[in-house]
Order: sequence, then C-alpha cells, then structure tokens
Amino acid sequence: MKKLSSVYIALILVFLFAPIAVLIFFSFNAGSSTSTFSGFSLRWYLELFRNGEILDALKNSLILAVASSAIATLLGTAAAFGIHHMKNKHLKNGVMTATNIPMMNPEIITGISLMFLFVFVGGLLGLQTKLNFWTMLIAHITFNLPYVILNVLPKFKQMDKSLPEAALDLGCTPMQSFFKVQLPAILPGVLTGMIMAFTMSLDDFVISYFTSGVDFQTLPVLIYSMTKKSVKPTIYALSSIIFVVILALLLLSNREKSSDERLEAKRLKAEKKRREAIIKAQKSGKAPKQPKREAVYEAKAPRRSRSYLNKIVAVCCAFAVIVSLCVMLGVYSKNTITLNVYNWGEYISDGSEGSLDVNKAFEAYCANELGMKVKVNYVTYTSNEDLYAKLSTDAVSYDVIIPSDYMIARLASEGLLAEIDFDNIPNYEECISEDFRGLYYDPEDKYSVPYTYGMIGIIYNANVVSEEDIGDWDLMWNEKYKGDIVQFNNARDAFGTAFYKLGLDVNSTDVADWERGLAELKTQKPYLDKYVMDEIFNMMESGEAAVGAYYAGDYLTMLDNQAENVDLQLYYPDNTNLFIDAMCIPASTQNKSLAEEYINFMLSEEVAIANAEYICYASPHSVVYNSETYKEDMGEEAIEILYPKNFNFHEAYNSNCYKDLDADTKKLLNELWENLKISN
Amino acid sequence: MTKKNVISENGIRRNPPQKKGLLQRYAAAPHIVWSVLFIIAPLIFVAYYSFTDADGVFTLANISAFFTEKYLIIFFRSVKLALIATAICLLLGYPIAYFISRSKPKTQKVLILLLMLPMWMNFLIRTYAIMVLVQDTGIINSFLGKFGIGPIHILGTEGAVIIGMVYDYLPFMILPIYSVMSKLDNRLIEAASDLGCNGFGVLRKVIFPLSLSGVISGVTMVLVPSISTFYISQKLGGVDTLLIGDVIEQQYTASNYNMTASLSLILMLILLVGLAIVNHYSDGDGGGMMP
Repeated sequence: MKKLSSVYIALILVFLFAPIAVLIFFSFNAGSSTSTFSGFSLRWYLELFRNGEILDALKNSLILAVASSAIATLLGTAAAFGIHHMKNKHLKNGVMTATNIPMMNPEIITGISLMFLFVFVGGLLGLQTKLNFWTMLIAHITFNLPYVILNVLPKFKQMDKSLPEAALDLGCTPMQSFFKVQLPAILPGVLTGMIMAFTMSLDDFVISYFTSGVDFQTLPVLIYSMTKKSVKPTIYALSSIIFVVILALLLLSNREKSSDERLEAKRLKAEKKRREAIIKAQKSGKAPKQPKREAVYEAKAPRRSRSYLNKIVAVCCAFAVIVSLCVMLGVYSKNTITLNVYNWGEYISDGSEGSLDVNKAFEAYCANELGMKVKVNYVTYTSNEDLYAKLSTDAVSYDVIIPSDYMIARLASEGLLAEIDFDNIPNYEECISEDFRGLYYDPEDKYSVPYTYGMIGIIYNANVVSEEDIGDWDLMWNEKYKGDIVQFNNARDAFGTAFYKLGLDVNSTDVADWERGLAELKTQKPYLDKYVMDEIFNMMESGEAAVGAYYAGDYLTMLDNQAENVDLQLYYPDNTNLFIDAMCIPASTQNKSLAEEYINFMLSEEVAIANAEYICYASPHSVVYNSETYKEDMGEEAIEILYPKNFNFHEAYNSNCYKDLDADTKKLLNELWENLKISN
Repeated sequence: MTKKNVISENGIRRNPPQKKGLLQRYAAAPHIVWSVLFIIAPLIFVAYYSFTDADGVFTLANISAFFTEKYLIIFFRSVKLALIATAICLLLGYPIAYFISRSKPKTQKVLILLLMLPMWMNFLIRTYAIMVLVQDTGIINSFLGKFGIGPIHILGTEGAVIIGMVYDYLPFMILPIYSVMSKLDNRLIEAASDLGCNGFGVLRKVIFPLSLSGVISGVTMVLVPSISTFYISQKLGGVDTLLIGDVIEQQYTASNYNMTASLSLILMLILLVGLAIVNHYSDGDGGGMMP
C-alpha cells in the first residue's frame, strides 16, 4: 500500500512537471522554435536580459502582485476580523456571499463586468484614459480579497474566544489586544492568504486582459499578444528562471525552518540539563543560583522568538507597501513625457540578437537631440479588432498605433484618427514611393504612414504533399491531406481563403456571397486539423500539419526552425490577400508632435532596416528594399519571397485587399463564423 | 462579558466595551464598501448591457439569442468537457490528497509545495508547453513510437482540451481536499476499523463524508474555470471544440458588448444557482482553501 501510494504520487508529479520540463528544455534551444530542438545554447537567456519589453512586463507584473496582495491582505484581514464579530446574521451572510462572488464567478465574467464599470465611470468623470494601472490594481485587489478572507476567517473561528477577553481584562487596549494576542494567532492564515493572493495576481491573465490599459502591460497579457507571431523561447527562459528561483526559495525556507527546529531542540536539551543540575543542587541542599531568573527566561523564550517573527513579517509588509507606493508614484512621475505606442506583438526590433532596440534608441535620440526626457511605453495587441475594442470604448489614449489597412479606413471614417502634419515627418517624402500612396484606406494620405506589408501564401511540407497537388487554393481543400490542413482562426482571413478560391470579391456586401463562402469553408472543415494563429509555427515546423495558409514573412521563420524530416515550401495562389500595416496617430493623442517625431524616427534608414529584418515582412520603405546590407542580411531566397518579381503592387493590392465592411456585413461575418465553428 | 464598566478588584478600570465594539463593528466596513463598488456594481452593469441594445434601448433579443440551437450546443459542450475534466481531477486528486495527508508531516509539507510549484509558472506558457508535449511528433508520441504504438492524434481533439483543463486545475482540486483531510481525526478511522469496518467501509462511511466539504470546494474550483476557459480550447482544441468562453471572448473582440454581457449573465446565473444548490445540500461551509 505504502509503495503503491508513493508510485501514484510520483506519477501525478511527473504529469504536473512534464510540461515544465519541456519548456525548460526548449529554453536552451539554439533555434527559435519551441517544438524542434536544434542544439544547446544560452542565447535566449542572454536575449532575455536585453529585452526591455519583457523585463518591463515582468516588473509590472511584480509591482501589481505586490501592491494588490499587500492591500488585499490589509483590507481582508480587517474584514475577517469584522465579519467574525458581526452579530447581525443577515448582514454576515450577505457579506460572505458578496465575498464569495469573485471566487464562484468565472474570471472572464469578473473581468468583463469590471471593464464595463471602469469604462462607464471613466466616461462620467470624463477621463482620457479609462483603463490604466489603477483599474488593474482595483481588479486584482477585488479578486484577491476572497483568498485572504477565506484563509483568515477560519483562524478567528479556531482562536480561543477567551484570549482577547483575557487580554482586555489584563489591561490591554483593544488595539493592543488585537496586535499582541489575536494577530499572532491568525498570522499563519494571513500569510497563506497573502501568498495565495500574490500567486493568483502574478499568474492572472483573464481579468488583466479585460481591464488592462495603455500604460501598464503585465507579462501574461504580453504573452497573449504574441498570437500572430510565435512565442519565442525568451519567454521560456524567463519561466525557467522564475521556476528555479521559486524552487530555491522554497528549499531554503524549508531548510531554515528545520535548522530553527534543530536549534530549538538543542536549547530545550540544554535547559533540561540545567534544570536537572538545579534539582540536583537543591537536593544536595545548596541554594540554586537565581532559579527565578531561569524560570522567567524559560517562559519568555518562545514568546520572544514569536514576536521576532512578527517583526520580520511586519517589516516585510511595510517594505512591500512602501516599495509599491514609490513605484506607483514613479509610474506617474511628471518630469518625463510618456509616449504610448500600441503595436502588434513582436512587431518592432527589440534589441534581440544584437539588433537595434528601437524604442531605447528613440528615448536616447530625444534626450540627446531634442533635450527631452521621453519614455516610450510600448504595449502590444493581438488583433485589429482587439485594438478597435480598446480605442472605440475610448478606454485608453494612445499616441502611435499601427493597425492594418481596413482598420485604418474604419478608424478614419469614425473620426478616431488625427491628421498627420507631414511637415514634421521629413523622411516621408524620400522613403515612401508612389506605389504606397493614395491607397483606398487613406486616399489623400492624411492619416497614415506605411510601416510594413505582406501577402498570404500557402505553406506546405514537400515531404508529404506531392508536386501535382500544388496550385492555387485547391490544396487547402484537398481530401488527400485530411487532418493535415490548418486554416486561419480569424473570420476575415478564413473567409478570405474561400472567397479567393471561389473567385468572389472579398469585400462583397451580398449575403449570398457570404453564404457561399460559408458553404465552402464547411466542406473544408472535415479535412482540417485545427483553426490556428500562432500555433501554426509549431505545427508546421514539427510536421504535425502539412498544409496551411499564413503570412509569407512568417514562413521564413518556420523555415529556420523546421525539423529534420520536414521540408517546407511556399507558393502564392493567383489571387491572395495583400495587407499593409501603417502608423497612425489616434485623435485622442496627448503628444501629437512627439508622435510625429516618433514616426519620422521609424522611417530613418537604420531603424527601418532593423525593423524590416526583425519583422521579416516586406518593407514599403524605398531605402530599405534598395539597401545592399538588407538584401545580404535577409538572403536571396527571402528577398524573392517577400518581393516577388514582375509584380505590380498597386494593381494587386487594389484588387485583393480587405476593405472595411459595413456594419451589417461585419455582423453577418461574425454570425457565419460562429455557425462554421459549431457546424458538424 | 458584562456590558457595564467594571472596576476590577485591583482597581484597574476596564476599557469601556463600546470602544471595543467600535473597532469590531467597523473593521469590515472598508471591505463592504469595496464589495458594493467593485463586486456588486459591475454585475449590475452586466445586467444592464444584457437587456439593452447598442443604442441603450431595452430589448430581450440578447437573452433569447442564447436559447437558440447554436449557443445551446456550445454551452452543453462546455458543460460536458468541464464535467469530464472535473471528474478526472476528482478521481486523480482525491487519492493523492488522501495519501499526502497520511504521510509524515515533513513529507506532507514538501509534497504540497511541489503541487503548488507549477502554479507559479505562467498559465499561458504551461498550456503552450502541453501543446508541444501532445502533438503527433511530440515527446509523448515519440516515446510511444519506440514501443511501436501510435502516433495517437491528440492535439485538436476534445481529449486535448480535457488534458489541458486537468493539468491546469488539478492542484485546485487537491489542495482543498487535502486541507480537510489533514485535519481529520485519526482516532475516528481507528475506531471504525476496531468496530469491524473494512478498508473500503472506512473510506465510504468515515473518510469520504468527513472530507465532503473539501470535495465540494475542489469541484467548484475546477468546474468554474474549466467551463469558462477560452485559452485552453484555443490552443489545444481543434475544429469542433469552441466553448462558451471562446464565444464570449469573440463577442468582446467584435465589440458586441450587449451579447458579451448577456452570455456572461446567463453563464453566471446558471453557475451560481448550480453551486448554491450543491452548497445547500452539503451544508458545509466549504473546506479551507489551504492547509
């Protein structure tokens, strides 16, 4: 039985730690894949320390976790004290029910409900930024409170009722009675509550996702925004470090405790000896040496060590509160101007692999050239719709955003974009050629500066797919590769593939067209392995999937990481989507001229090349695509894929780009997408 | 304690009781205010958005939309997967909680720390790592392949989603059960065996009823996040594993707040009513979260 139980416990632990072992293993990967191992290397650890974005997010997560758990512990302990002494049964039940709601309620609902509240109240108060650090802090305190209360309350119940009364009888004030008698008794509950609150806050994604604003991005939210590009092993490296640190802390605290216990045992032994000696002395008739003091010492010793512990805890708590307050004030220090930039995940050169850290460089540029202290607050989003959701509720105020073409059209038509003063962007004239001007989403070139563009291609594993099946979109509908095909997990791109296949206009407003698209996607569904976004990287690289459409630039990343028995290839169907992502300034900006300065900086040669090489999509910047260094760095094959020859961009773009759909069509698309997902 | 001020024998005046009452009476006040502002009020907003359309006009359309075939299929799928995951968590977690609570105190502490350790790793990243583990060319299938089994196609199936849920939420099942069991009086078990109960009888008649409050909080803590998850189904699920959480998230990103609210409201009400019924029949006040 004993053996059986040990084996069972071991098996469960293996189950719990296997994924963690996987991520530690891949954090040492020489390649950038998280599914194929291409040799041992420490590069991701080095990169981690150079990556300002991740370190900032980590810092933010820690600040939030410390601040929210400290405040929740204070509020929650007081609340538990009050609830315990509550005489009115109905009130008590009511308060307990309210306390339990955040624990019983799904996180997604807590998050959404708080978001509604913040946006509404922020609107009433006329705030520019309705979601920010403070709203996130409130949200985290709210879901931390029950953990503290539910851990502390039982300790009050277990405590001997006569203890506080005895303290009062002996002349303590109520305050003294609480701090000297009750607090030590409930302390274990308070500490567990605080630790749980800290853990929950640090790991929370769902509630943060709905309540996070522009100025403050936590690690989980950052990771989620990497959904278009793949999650890099840098994140794995960070997780591994966190794991090792926590493990070390736990082991250390365990050892310290046991050494404490050993000391205690030694002391007791010594005491016993002394007492025996005294008794012996008494027996032999000699007067013992100050027996009373010994006795006093005996009684006091355990209390002394306990109050020592209390002090440590108190000091720790105070320290945590002070640090978090300082940092909170630091977040809002008035001397520096904060420029809020909102971009896709992994869509800017960030200093990894010796590349240029663009945001740092801009800060340095402002300090040196303009004599301004600027902090670039760089936050990332998952999709255009995600960006729109944040912008349209007026929840946040950004200075620079980089949406895709159809979203720019939508934002401009709703008056959410500011007109750019091109006099402040001298680089624009010489860098952006006629090809990329006057496009439908911004016909008069008032609102946007092109940042990057690309095409959707079909990627396939040549070891699985036979040559004769290649050609146009039919490969994605080929029954032969049933279970090996992956399709976009976003409505617009998925319907796009069907529309191109059927030769329909992707911007059609005809309901019948959309129904045809749906029918086409329904016939494809049985052949699919999965609807994917960033999962496609893993699946194609490892050979799990053999056919899938994705953004061509990302194919280059997959190519670098493919497993030994995988041979990835790419081709462009005759009709396929072209997209442009361009830099814009929202109408709600607080620093328009600085935002223009930033856009101009992004167009300067070195920066533009660094970005183009990092993102791996095509660049609309004429200096970049004519640059020899750029061509050399990217390699011939990559250039051929990104910039196909005999290709008229303007023409192809105008006939195949996504335009902003009208409200009814958007609603229809949404409904059809849901129908597709649940159809059999 | 008497209500009047009393001068005790040695002449020290007791502190007036109403002062003590003041502290006790108002200690919970900040929390009550907080609950009203940030727990109750947001839910009122959810209700408000559920019953209005985009222009703020009263409508029942959002609510009735839920009771169409489309959403009901998704809802029942979520319930099914969450229930399976919860049952597996209970089956796996109950014995381990029992075994841990019967081991030496020192071992207990170490094992509980080990169980909590994965919770310190980011939840998104852990889920991502499962993907690598279970894919056709992943570690599990390569291992099985060495014995000529498989590859078993897991990723993209309902099975993968269940594995994800069990993995992410298993500690939430084990901890409350363990917390109750570690307080169980050993003498009760001895008494039962002395009185002729066999091992199974002890488990059925003594241990299980006494640990029921822990089981209920464990079930709650696994069921609720499983039923409403969207990340797990997004990453591990396939073409047929859309869950109610995914739909809510999709409606949110599509900026359809009224539908987001109504789906949230209905899910919340169903869960709260269900949990209230379970709690009512178990008449426990729920096991502690933690040892």
